[in-house]
Amino acid sequence: MKTTKLLLVTILLLSSGLATAASIQLQVQPESANPSHPTMGDWMHFNSVISNTGSKPIEGLVAWISLVEVTPGKEQPMDLEDWSAHKAVTGTTLKPGEALKTQWPMRLIQSGDYRIVISATDRNNSTVFTSPTLQFHVSQKPVVESTRILPVAIGIPLLIAGLLGVRKYRGHHKTS
Amino acid sequence: MNPVTLIAQKERSALLQNQRGLVWLLAYAGILSAFALLLISNRELSLLDNAQVVYMMAGTVTAAGALIAVIMGADAYAGERERGTLVPLLTAPVSTGELLMGKALGLVSAWGIMYLLAFPYLWSVGAGGQNLGQAIFYLGLFGTPVVLGFGYLAMALSARSGSVMSSLLTSLIVLLFSASPLLVGPGLRNSTIGKTLDAVNPFSGALNTFDAVIIDSDPFTGQLARLFLVLIWLGLMFAFARISARRPVFR
Repeated sequence: MKTTKLLLVTILLLSSGLATAASIQLQVQPESANPSHPTMGDWMHFNSVISNTGSKPIEGLVAWISLVEVTPGKEQPMDLEDWSAHKAVTGTTLKPGEALKTQWPMRLIQSGDYRIVISATDRNNSTVFTSPTLQFHVSQKPVVESTRILPVAIGIPLLIAGLLGVRKYRGHHKTS
Repeated sequence: MNPVTLIAQKERSALLQNQRGLVWLLAYAGILSAFALLLISNRELSLLDNAQVVYMMAGTVTAAGALIAVIMGADAYAGERERGTLVPLLTAPVSTGELLMGKALGLVSAWGIMYLLAFPYLWSVGAGGQNLGQAIFYLGLFGTPVVLGFGYLAMALSARSGSVMSSLLTSLIVLLFSASPLLVGPGLRNSTIGKTLDAVNPFSGALNTFDAVIIDSDPFTGQLARLFLVLIWLGLMFAFARISARRPVFR
């Protein structure tokens, strides 16, 4: 009797879970206009499609983009600050069969190998759904070098200030 | 010594040997340094292409040079008047034309010093990139008439008004308006009003040439109309200074 009750409760719990579980499918593709050999400073765009493949509406959908560096020896999750201002889509409702298309722009800040992934969840669900990952390589680009700028930007005003100081000192000694 | 050369030497030495001149030069170098440091302290700017950065530096050099030229020009007559040295100058055996030529050549020398001072800045941001030599050449060719034109405008107003403050403010307003393309990018100036202003604004002419030759590697022949524009500006402002300097306000 006890075993039957336990089985019944388990079935009830499972069925209620199945009833509320959303079914989200995520796809992500790079934009066709993306540079074939991206370098630092370039923009890349990724298009995602988030579909409600279940039979119940998804309410309070949250989808976000994550970036991971996979350069050998430098594997780490990346802070998207500077890379992207469009980091998430929030509060959207998707009816069964509906799909949400989103474009994720990204400015390539550092060189290296990277992977992006789109994740999604909703208000009533504890599951996080993820898209397949997309990997790309960002090449180094010759940009402004601080080793050249610093000596000039600090040295020249200091030189003129020194000249000014000498002139002032001499002027002071002449008058006294 | 020829009085024109004598006055020109005095004006030039005011920038290198006079405390006030050195402060102006320090302000000029400070503007260029601040811009250069901004490039390496801001991640977005540090990712810009070398050619883009050299173009921006050339524009900044022109604007800062014009600013110092305006200060020097405003001081040329009104400053002498306020210091009580204009009357002795006018009663000396020097014609008003010679006085103007001396002051005008002094401004040329001062810009020459500022132009030379810009080289290390251009090199520091542009070495390793494209068209650094082009940038230096075109800064000389287009920057010189623009900067000197603003200096002569201030000189003319200085002779007419007799007040440093008044001539300085008026010239600065004209300079700020003309230099606005530095802040408003080419895309935003692509309207009828923007295009019209670009066609008559010598500052825009110089900036558009810097853009064309440094970033796009365009040939010299495509810059002739803009060269004509900046030379017209220089000629008009010098003529205005010449007319105004015939009878400077000295009371």
